[in-house]
Formats: sequence, C-alpha cells, structure tokens
Amino acid sequence: MADTGAGQQAGNTQAGNTNGAKQSAAVAKNGAAVLELRDIHKYFGDLEVLKGVSVAARAGEVIALIGSSGSGKSTLLRCANLLEIPQQGDVIFQGKAIEWRAKGAGRQPASEVQVRGVRTHLSMVFQQFNLWAHLSVLQNVTEAPITVLGQDRSEAEEKGRALLAKVGIGDKCDAYPAQLSGGQQQRAAIARALAMEPAAMLFDEPTSALDPELEQEVIKVIKDLAAEGRTMIIVTHDMSLARDVADQVIFLHQGVIEEQGAPAEVFGNPKSDRLRQFLLSTSVAA
Amino acid sequence: MTAGLTAGLMSIDLMTTGLSTSGLLTNRYWFKVLFEYCADPDSLSSLSWLSCYLTTVKHQSLYWSILTVLILLAVTAPMAVGLGLAGALARRSPFGAVRGLGWGYTSMVRGIPDLIFFLFVPLAIDQMLEYIRHRVLCPQETGPVWVGHDFVVCDAAKLPLGPSPEWVHDIYGFMLAVLAFSIVFGAFCANVIHGAMNAVPRAQLETARAYGLSPRQVMFRIHLPQTWIYALPGLSNVWMILIKATPLLFLMGVEDIVYWAKELGGSKSARFSDFPHGDWRIYYFSGLLVFYLLFTWFSQIGLKRLTDRVSRGQATLAGGKGGLGR
Ligand SMILES: Nc1ncnc2c1ncn2[C@@H]1O[C@H](COP(=O)(O)OP(=O)(O)OP(=O)(O)O)[C@@H](O)[C@H]1O
Ligand SMILES: [Mg+2]
Repeated sequence: MADTGAGQQAGNTQAGNTNGAKQSAAVAKNGAAVLELRDIHKYFGDLEVLKGVSVAARAGEVIALIGSSGSGKSTLLRCANLLEIPQQGDVIFQGKAIEWRAKGAGRQPASEVQVRGVRTHLSMVFQQFNLWAHLSVLQNVTEAPITVLGQDRSEAEEKGRALLAKVGIGDKCDAYPAQLSGGQQQRAAIARALAMEPAAMLFDEPTSALDPELEQEVIKVIKDLAAEGRTMIIVTHDMSLARDVADQVIFLHQGVIEEQGAPAEVFGNPKSDRLRQFLLSTSVAA
Repeated sequence: MTAGLTAGLMSIDLMTTGLSTSGLLTNRYWFKVLFEYCADPDSLSSLSWLSCYLTTVKHQSLYWSILTVLILLAVTAPMAVGLGLAGALARRSPFGAVRGLGWGYTSMVRGIPDLIFFLFVPLAIDQMLEYIRHRVLCPQETGPVWVGHDFVVCDAAKLPLGPSPEWVHDIYGFMLAVLAFSIVFGAFCANVIHGAMNAVPRAQLETARAYGLSPRQVMFRIHLPQTWIYALPGLSNVWMILIKATPLLFLMGVEDIVYWAKELGGSKSARFSDFPHGDWRIYYFSGLLVFYLLFTWFSQIGLKRLTDRVSRGQATLAGGKGGLGR
C-alpha cells in the first residue's frame, strides 16, 4: 500500500476529468499517477519476459509504448489490468496497490473484488477488437455498464448511442460485429471502452489489424480522445501516431525499458543503438 | 421435471372425468364406443365399417400411445438439455468432487450401451425408491429386503400401491421411462454442450473479464449464450436420435405405437373381434414410417429456423446467410 493519500487525490482529479472532459489536459497532468506499474517482473515458465519495468501514467497523460515484436509490450499492458499476474512488482491504480497472496510462481491477487474494481475503471482496447460476437454493437457497448456498473438499460442505451455516434458509427447500433468492417469494429470497441467512463485506457496495437485506409478512422478517434485529456497507454507500431499524441514515449527492448522521454527527444535524438536501429527499421513502414 | 409430469397427470384426469360422465367406460380406463351405429358391425357398409374399425377401444389405445410418445419427447427434451447443461457445467466446476461427478456421468453413459441403461435405470430407480420407503414407512420390519433372489418390501412401500388403479401403474412406469430417457440423452447433451463450450474463443471470455465481469457473469452473459451457437447442430442431432429411440419405450413396459401397430396389424379372426381381417401389419408399419418421417422432417425445418436465429449475424458459415452480404 503505497502513497494512499496522494493516490486518492489522483482518483478524485480523474473523476472530475472524465465528467468534464473539456478540462485542460495541462492542468490534469500535474496530478499524481492514475496507474503505476512498479518494477514488474513477469515469467512465462523459465522465460523472463519483463525484467523490472516501471511505468507511471499521470492523469491526462498519454504514454506510447513502442518496441520490436516479442519485447513484452502486450504482456506489460496485460499486467496493468491483471490479465497476467506479475511474479514480482506492484500494480498501483488510483493510489491503491493490488494486494497479493503467495509469492513467486503461485502469486495471485488477494482479492478478486479488488481486481474487478481495477478492471471496471481501466478499459482495454484489443488488437483484434474482441467485440462479443453474439451481441449487437449497441449491446456490446451497454453490456458492462449494465452488468458491472449497474446502470439501468435505457440510461446505458442512451449513452451507448451517443458514444457510437461520437466514434462515427451511430448508424450501426443494431448490426452485429461480424457485419462491420475492421475499422468500424475497432471504433465500436473504443465506444465500449468509453462507456465504462474509465479513469485510464489501455490500447494494444489498436490499428495493427487494419488496412491503412481504415487505420486513419481509428487514429482520428484516438487523437480526439488524447485532446480530451484522457489518460491512455497505447502500444503501437505506428510511430507517427506515437509522435502526434504521446506525452511520453517508452521504448521497450527484451523486457527492459531501453529509453524513455518526450517524443521529440526519443524520436529526434535517440541515445541507444537499439532504438536507432528500431526507428530505422520502422521508418520505412511508418 | 415435476411440473411436466404433473401436467401429464392432470390432462389424464381431465380425460377420465370428461368421458366417465357418459357411463360407457371400458376396462381400459376411459375409452368407449364412439358411434352408436357401430353396435352391429355386420350391418355396415365399407366406409362406416372403417370408421367403426378405427375407433375401437384398441385403436384408441394406439392413438393414446402416439400422445404418450409426444409427451415423452416434450418432457425428455428439456430435461435432457437441463441435465446436459448441468453435466457440462459440473465438468468446469472449481470443486474437484463436482468435476468428478460431471465427468463420471458423461463418460459412464458414453461407455455403456443405451439399451442397458434403458433396462437398468427404471429398475434401479424403482428399487431405490421402494427401499427408501420400506425403511421409512415400515420401521418394524428390520430384516433384509433381499429374500433369496427376490426384492421384497412391505406393502406400504410398494410403488405404486397395490390397490391403485391401472392407470396409476402406467403413469408410474411412464415416469420411470422418462427418467431413463432423460438421463441417457442428458449425457449426450452434456458431451455436445461441453464441446461447444470449449469452442467459444478464449478472447471473448478474456475480454469480458477485462471489463470487470465476475466469473459467474462471464459464464451466463458471454460464455453460455455463445455456446448455443456451437451446440445447436449437435443438439439437433441428439433430438433426431431421441425421436428415433422412442420405440425403445416398449422395452420399459410402456405400450408404445410400435407395440400397438404390431398388435392391431396382426390378422384377426371373427372369433376374437367384431372386425375380422387378414395380416394388415404392412399397412400399420407403413403408417409408422410415414409418422416418423414426417416428424423428423418437420423437426428438421424447425431446428433449421432455430439455428438461423441463433447464428444470425455471426461470423460463422451459418451466420453469413443472415444478410452479411460480403
Ligand atoms: N501466454 C504466454 N505463454 C508463454 N509465452 C508467452 C505468452 N504470452 C507471451 N509470451 C512470450 O512473451 C514474449 C513477449 O510477448 P508479448 O506478446 O508481450 O510481445 P509484444 O511486445 O506484444 O509483441 P508484438 O509486437 O508482436 O505484439 C514473447 O516472447 C512471447 O513469446
Ligand atoms: Mg503484442
């Protein structure tokens, strides 16, 4: 349980921030971390995928996580909402550290309720969209607000329609996910994430499964969210997206943070050879 | 289950009271001669002869047995799906004992011929119930229930009670048969549902967890609803097999349509019947063929509609027809 008092405050700042999204991002960013990962170690069997990674996202901050394939970006993101359990290190959300029972390989969160509490306020957008196939687009958006947050149906549907309109697919409410294009599906998935009124959002390569043309639809939505002052961690291979929206860029290499800083610094003046090589290899694609 | 059987009992009660007012009850519960002119069969023209022939007490038993088959199906189907769901869920229980129970149930029925189950289950349930009643209702009798090779319980423990009317015996036998069918077909359903649950993509469930749904909510809001998409073809298959297995009722002492077709189709001499005829079994069995064929055919249409509805808008081959258009 680290710095509870300050974190509590961060939570409050964030709550204000989600309600009045117009609040200036610069003001919000001065708060304490909404989400902090501290010295995360993650093993898959004998393979150490994350070797002591620390990341802190303050309210309103956008962090871009870059790095080559297999460097552990997805795993880090999944540790944040506890889809993966780190064997060592702490996950601190809105000032409250996840409590653990047992150590090492058998480490588990002590409280299932605490984990659900974190997930409720930390929405994730997946590379493959993962919209629930048996539900219509609107139902996808209202499912968690109704079952998890306990909103009543008509209220949730009204908000859901507004969010779908906001991401530009207001006419697709009653379609099923399989009837949408990839870009439309990802925008629906973002609307689903927004419907939880999250304190922070996690994006795992949100545009990697899309054609360049469809990519732009989704990128536009993400840029709008950044401008609103949302707290986000975005894993991406799209360096121009990282440059445009991020306040902080983190370069992950083989489970270690190799370099980190403002986009201008990281992209303009890379210090390590590895980052230079990585940027060269992606500059063709980006 | 109880609700279904009670409904069955009630409808029989209605029939009994409705018909007994006419005062023409025969020994087989409640049937009567329907048409007055049938009193003297020798005087009849061929058409009215046929109308009289087809409404004899025995033929009414045939019609009743068709209803029996339909009731069996109507009660067994939901019970089997319920048991199947319970079995499939048991196999995923966090408790080892429950998992073992689910596994034992499905693999037991898988490994043993159905026929043995149809003979064993009614007998086992009957003896178990009578044994419990014997111990509870006749505490003064402390001796063993197995006397030599016979299973003997006190009169008060008998099921149904000795002096009960014949239809009570028939209903009791029918209930045991329904139980046997439900247990066997429940195990088939459990296998289908278990497999279908495994076919649901892991990412769908993981996403639900990532949005804060509890394990229970994930199961009932996401996992099971998607399970039906994958389970329906398999369950349709089980339904067809169930329809075709109904003649096994006869094995359990329930006089079903096959029994009556054989009984009525056999040649009748004037000594035993007012309506003598030769060997007509071929006609009766042809009738059965048509009955089962029509039944399975209509089932197929119904199931197809259901499958279309469930897979509407899904990224499966079946779902594509629902207007995917690309
Ligand atoms: N469930 C798992 N079991 C075993 N190993 C895993 C598992 N998930 C990931 N890994 C391994 O962990 C390493 C990091 O994987 P991760 O998915 O985090 O990489 P990534 O940086 O997201 O890569 P990409 O850019 O290709 O998505 C890889 O070597 C991968 O093989
Ligand atoms: Mg990844």
